[in-house]
Amino acid sequence: MPSHASFAPLTAPDSPDSPTAPGTPGTASQLDVAGALLALLRDTTTEPRPDGQLEALTLAVAADLPVLLWGEPGIGKTAALTQLAASLDLPLTTVIASVHEPSDFSGLPVIGDDPAEQGVPMAPPDWAVRLVRAGRGLLFLDELSTAPPAVQAALLRLVLERRIGALQLPPGVRIVAAANPRSSAADGWELSPPLANRFVHLQWTHDHDVVVRGLGGTWPRATLPRLDPERLPAAVDFARRAVCGLLAARPALVHRLPSGEARRGGPWPSPRSWEMTLHLIAFATAAGSSRDVLSLLVRGTVGDGPGLELLAGLDRMDLPDPEDLLADPAAAALPERGDLRQAVLDGVVEAVRKRPEQARWDAAWALMVRALETGAPDLVVVPATALASLRRAEWDVPAEIEGLAGAVSLSLRADRATARAAAATRGGR
Amino acid sequence: MTGGPEGALDLDKLFAARLHAARVRPYLATALFALHVVESRRVPTMAVDRHWRCYASPSFVERTSVEELAGVWVHEVSHLLRDHHGRGDRVARERGLHGPGERLRMNIAADFEINDDVFGDGLVHPAGAVRPTDVGLPEGQLMEDYLRQFGLGPRTQHMAWLDCGSGADGLEREWDLGEDGAHGLTEQERDAVRFRVAQGITGRPGSTPSGWKRWAEEAFHPPQPWRVLLGAAVRSATSGSGAGEDYSYGRPSRRSAGVPGVVLPSLRRRPPRVSVVIDTSASVSDAELGSALLEVAAISRAVGGRRDLVTVVPCDAAARIAHPLCRAEGIPLLGGGGTDLRTGFATALRAGARPDVIVVLTDGQTAWPATRPPCRTVIGLFPGRRASRSWDEGDPDYVPDTPPAWARVVDIG
Repeated sequence: MPSHASFAPLTAPDSPDSPTAPGTPGTASQLDVAGALLALLRDTTTEPRPDGQLEALTLAVAADLPVLLWGEPGIGKTAALTQLAASLDLPLTTVIASVHEPSDFSGLPVIGDDPAEQGVPMAPPDWAVRLVRAGRGLLFLDELSTAPPAVQAALLRLVLERRIGALQLPPGVRIVAAANPRSSAADGWELSPPLANRFVHLQWTHDHDVVVRGLGGTWPRATLPRLDPERLPAAVDFARRAVCGLLAARPALVHRLPSGEARRGGPWPSPRSWEMTLHLIAFATAAGSSRDVLSLLVRGTVGDGPGLELLAGLDRMDLPDPEDLLADPAAAALPERGDLRQAVLDGVVEAVRKRPEQARWDAAWALMVRALETGAPDLVVVPATALASLRRAEWDVPAEIEGLAGAVSLSLRADRATARAAAATRGGR
Repeated sequence: MTGGPEGALDLDKLFAARLHAARVRPYLATALFALHVVESRRVPTMAVDRHWRCYASPSFVERTSVEELAGVWVHEVSHLLRDHHGRGDRVARERGLHGPGERLRMNIAADFEINDDVFGDGLVHPAGAVRPTDVGLPEGQLMEDYLRQFGLGPRTQHMAWLDCGSGADGLEREWDLGEDGAHGLTEQERDAVRFRVAQGITGRPGSTPSGWKRWAEEAFHPPQPWRVLLGAAVRSATSGSGAGEDYSYGRPSRRSAGVPGVVLPSLRRRPPRVSVVIDTSASVSDAELGSALLEVAAISRAVGGRRDLVTVVPCDAAARIAHPLCRAEGIPLLGGGGTDLRTGFATALRAGARPDVIVVLTDGQTAWPATRPPCRTVIGLFPGRRASRSWDEGDPDYVPDTPPAWARVVDIG
């Protein structure tokens, strides 16, 4: 028996012909030595380290949205949940879905004295009773994908309706489920689109450096986000503006069923998942989380495409308002990043185009000069050309235009290069 | 490279080149303008890091023409848009490629991927930009493919100085400002820029080269291997209700002893029956049929190894007989001419016990049943050289039907 053989060093002192100390004290001491070795192995320290995916998980759990962690077996999902439970000060209950029967989640029928009169109550399992009695806790449903379909069906009712048999889980209980990606799941499992739409999908990956450093004795300790009570109203306002602003401009994004085999079982946009997104933006804002964390959450709720569009919209919300810039060009603070700066200048030109007045046109020229003085000149060329084309006959050319001479010569230089390159590539091909 | 006292970086020249690049490649303008220029005397030419900083050597800028610099701009931004550093890291981990030599190979392979299609059409080919044809390789492949096909040797000697920075192959350079340096883009900002470029390309396809169009389509949805998709579709179809392993009230549960008088479900296994209809018409190549048969074998394992429950129906214009898979070696995959898969469906449904799942492997050049068959259907669709092959002399406008909506369709190839 190989399993016995592997324990031979520990049990060897028991055998009569063992050369080492015979009898019980020897066994105890061998086990003590083993215990000491285990204690040494367990003796690890932690170091603070930002962890985006754990922060995203914490925010989704705080927002009381069903989370589904997708990840290969053995990459520390359970360890993350342990840390999350400790930081939220919730007792952790782990249920391995694949070793249970459907009746463990939908309730075991118990026949009383008079079933016809009193009905058959569905008795919940003991862990559920304890959870309800405690009133609060973190329920982790592991290995959702390797459970048989009927068990999965019962579990989904638990996740989505928070009912186990006749028991209703109290609001203080938060639920997180974990599944293996369908490429690695032995029994292959995937969510139907309606179910996928109810979850926040988080891809759980391991960080190579963290694992190596952890096995060396130092595991990361993430500082988890804290909601700031001062920021709650502003966070809700920000989230509503972000989601409504995008959906007003892009009605097609409100509801889009996943098409194609590759995106089945993943997140997709619907009014329900947009509402979840709104909650998540508010939570991430109130916690002061980074855009990277928000990106994980939003893309895990409405999918990559709509999620990225929303994030692009958030970036635009951060840009200065063209009207403010036109009102006081001398004090304008333009973004450092070139592409954002050009987006702002384009917005300024667009604002002048909408309401063309000499004063606004002049202010826009002042902004162009300012952009030229504080950053790369090439990005001023296109907006300045567009601004020049807006000129009315009665408007005088402002003195500021002198300051744009550098951009003009740059543009001419690029023109010459374009002409040379066009000739060269036409001839060369 | 050229020694001697160097002047300051000629930013105007560099920016004029960027403007030229943005004019001839308007869909890359966002990405070009998002790059932050850093003067560096340690880079040989120009290089990028993974945080979207662009390092430029003053002497290189001085001795290179504006139009050539524009080509270098587009080349460097292509490394970042195509995520060569991330892909380089992944390849390094998967294939165990470590050390500066391997990273140089990655840089060269990434350059091959870019250089074979970004130049021309208003953008000159910079002197010294390597192409796959320099080492006798075909054009149009990906970095990962090129990496398998060449080694460092005499033919790559002139490429040894080539260095596009950590943005091209993932290896940190001594001049990198790193994650904490100024003007770097965060991961989310990098995704946002790539997304806006991809959106610009898919929104205005027009004259964009096909290489960039393909990049835009796949930038955020990398294609998944069809074997995984087909396997998942078949497994999902076979594990649905009525087939596969699930609870059944057909026999009492072993737990029933503890709850007298209660009927509990018990775990029972009913392996699904799968019928595989294979299109053997002339429009499907032998190689495609070979890979189809391999998949049949894989499917038979996926449903629990009961080979006797899998039947194969070769089908061209007519399907004559359904063969059990246990005699797969001898199944005559003969055929030719046109296809009518409707007879294949009929044969599969008629054969003995009704199948739980029908898997169809075809190129789609066929008519489909008008009504949904009484079982789940998965269609594996071979890539069609459809436009050229479906041409019919008598009916030039003939377009074959698309697969019906009630089937799950997986593109194979």
